[in-house]
Amino acid sequence: MNSKILFEVSRLVIPFIQVFGAYVILHGHLSPGGGFAGGTIIGASLILYRVIYGKTEAEERLTYSKLLSLMCISLIAYGILKGYSFITGGSHLEVFNIPIGTPGKLLSGGLILPLNICIGIVVSVVIYFLFKLFYEGEI
Amino acid sequence: MIIKSFPLLTIIFLFITSFTMPLFKKDVISKRLSFITLSISSVISLISVIYIKFNGEIYYRVGHWDAPWGIELHVGIIEGIIGLVFTSVATLAIWYSMFSLERSMKERIGFYYLLINILIGSLLGIVYTNDLFNAFVFIEVSTIAACGIVVIKNKKENIKAALKYLILSILGSGLVLMGIAFIYSITGNLNMTFIHNELIKIHGQYQSTVLITLVLFTIGLGVKSAMFPLHTWLPDAHSNSPASASAILSGLVLKAYVFLLIKILFRVFGLEIISQYPLLDLILILGSAGMIMGSVLAILQRNIKRVIAYSSVAQMGYIFYGIGLGNELGLAMAIYHIIGHALTKSTLFLSVGSIIEQTGNHKLTDLRGVGKEMPVTLSIFTIGAFSMVGIPILPGFISKWYFALASIEAGKLLYLGVILASSLLNALYYFPIVINSFFGEENLKGRVYMSKNKPLKELVPVLVLTLLVFLIGIFNKGIIDAIRLDLF
Repeated sequence: MNSKILFEVSRLVIPFIQVFGAYVILHGHLSPGGGFAGGTIIGASLILYRVIYGKTEAEERLTYSKLLSLMCISLIAYGILKGYSFITGGSHLEVFNIPIGTPGKLLSGGLILPLNICIGIVVSVVIYFLFKLFYEGEI
Repeated sequence: MIIKSFPLLTIIFLFITSFTMPLFKKDVISKRLSFITLSISSVISLISVIYIKFNGEIYYRVGHWDAPWGIELHVGIIEGIIGLVFTSVATLAIWYSMFSLERSMKERIGFYYLLINILIGSLLGIVYTNDLFNAFVFIEVSTIAACGIVVIKNKKENIKAALKYLILSILGSGLVLMGIAFIYSITGNLNMTFIHNELIKIHGQYQSTVLITLVLFTIGLGVKSAMFPLHTWLPDAHSNSPASASAILSGLVLKAYVFLLIKILFRVFGLEIISQYPLLDLILILGSAGMIMGSVLAILQRNIKRVIAYSSVAQMGYIFYGIGLGNELGLAMAIYHIIGHALTKSTLFLSVGSIIEQTGNHKLTDLRGVGKEMPVTLSIFTIGAFSMVGIPILPGFISKWYFALASIEAGKLLYLGVILASSLLNALYYFPIVINSFFGEENLKGRVYMSKNKPLKELVPVLVLTLLVFLIGIFNKGIIDAIRLDLF
C-alpha cells in the first residue's frame, strides 16, 4: 500500500498502540485487562505494521526466528515461574517467594505481573503469526 | 516430601522442555532433548511407583490451595503404573524414531518432538489429575498436540485425516465439557472426591441429570478412545502418521481417555449410582460390537498399517467390554489390558514401520516373503500378533482368559462367545501376514536371506518393547493383584 497518508499516520499511531498495549499488560493485576488483552493490542500494532509497510520490510524487522524464540523463552519463563510456585506450594516448602508488595502499586501482586508479561509476549506473537498464516498462507 | 511432587514435576518438566526445542537450530538437538527428557521422566515415574508401593497413594495439591478450591492430583498404584508405561513406551518410540524419522518426513522435525513432549505431558496430566476441569484442559492440550502429530507429514491424506480427527475430537471434548457443566451445577464441585461425596447424597433427586451426565461423558470420551461406532477417525489418523507417532497415538493416546472414563464412572459416580442405569450394559454391547466389527473391518483392509489400526478398534472393544462387565475382575482386567495393549500395539506399529521403511511396500500382497529378508523384525511382529490373538504367556492371552473368567463371574455366559469369536477373527487377519511372510515356495522365491535387515542398534528399542511385553505377561499375577488392591 503506497499511500503517503497511511505511512505518516501509522508512523504516528503504532507507537501509541504499543504503549497502550504495554500499559494494559503491566496493569493487569490492578485494572481490567492483562496479558491476553494487552498482547492482542500489541499484536494488532504488528499486523498494522505488516499491512502498511509490506512483506519485505516487515520480515526484515520481525523475523520468524526472532519472534519464535521470543515466544519460546516467555513460555519457558512462564513454566518455570509457575512450576516453582506449584511445587513449593504443593510440597509445603518454606522457601523464597516473590514478595507481594504494597497493594495498588505497580510492583505488587506477586507472580501475576511477570506471568502477565510472559502471556503478553506469547499472545502478541501468536496473533501476528495467525494473521500471517491466513494472509500469506505461511508463517 | 519432595517425592510426592514427582508426578507433577514430570508434567511440568515435559511442558517446559518441549519449548526449548525451537530455540535450537539443529534437529539433532531436539531429538536428543526429547529422548533425554522422556527417559528422565520415565525414571521419575518409576521412582514414584516404588514410593507409592511402599507408602500408599499420593494426594498432591497443586499450588497453594487445598483440595476443593485448588487443583489436586491423585496418584495411586494404578495411575503410577500407567504413567510409567506411558513414559517408557514414549521413550522407546522416540528412541526408534531417532534413526528413522528423516526417512519418512523431511521438514518440521523439531516441531514433531515438541508436540510429542507436550502430548506425553498432557496424557500424564489426564491420568494423574483428580480434578474434572483440569482433566478437560489436559484433554484439549492433548487433542491439539495429537492433531498436530497427525498432520506433521503435510501430505494430502494427512491433512484429511487430521481434519476428521480434529472435528470429531472437538465434538468429544464439547460433550465432556457439557457433562462437567451439568455435574458442577448439581454438586458445586470439580474435585472428583468431593463430587463423589456430594453425589452419594443427592443423586436420588437428580436422576435424569445424572443419566444425561453419564451419557455425555461416555460418548464424549468414547469418541476420543474409539468406541465402536465412533471409531471412524482412527484408521486414517493412525495409519498415515510416521511409525513412532502411530505407536504413540495408538498405544497411549486412546488409553488415557479410556482411563479417564474409568475414573469418571467408578470414582466420580461409583458403582452404586451407575448400576441404577443401563449404562454399563450399553458399554458392554458397544465393546462387544467393537471386538467383532473391528476385526471384521481389519480383515477387509489391504494396507498393513490400516489392518493394525483397525485392530486397535477391536482391542479398545476389549477394554470397554471389561468396563461393561461391571465387576471388580472385569475392571481390573480392563486396566491390565490398557497396559498390555499399550506395549503390544506400539511393538506392532514400530515393527511394521521398519518393514515399510526397508521395503517401501505397505500393501499386504507385496509383503509376502518379507520374513526371509527381515527375520528379526518379522519375529518381533509375530510376537505382537501372537499376543493380539491370545497365545499363552503373552498379555493378550492373560487378558482374554481373565475377561472370560470375569464374564462367568458376572453371569454373562453369552458374552464368552464374543471373546472366542473375536480371538478367532484376530487370528484370521494376523496369521496370514505371518505365514505368508515366513513360508511358501512362491513367496520366498528370489528373496535373499537377511538382505533388508535393519541394523541391530536401530532395533534395540523394539526389542526392549518386546521384552516388556513378555515381562507384563509373565508377571501378570503381581500386576493384576496390585491393580485389584487399588480399585476404586
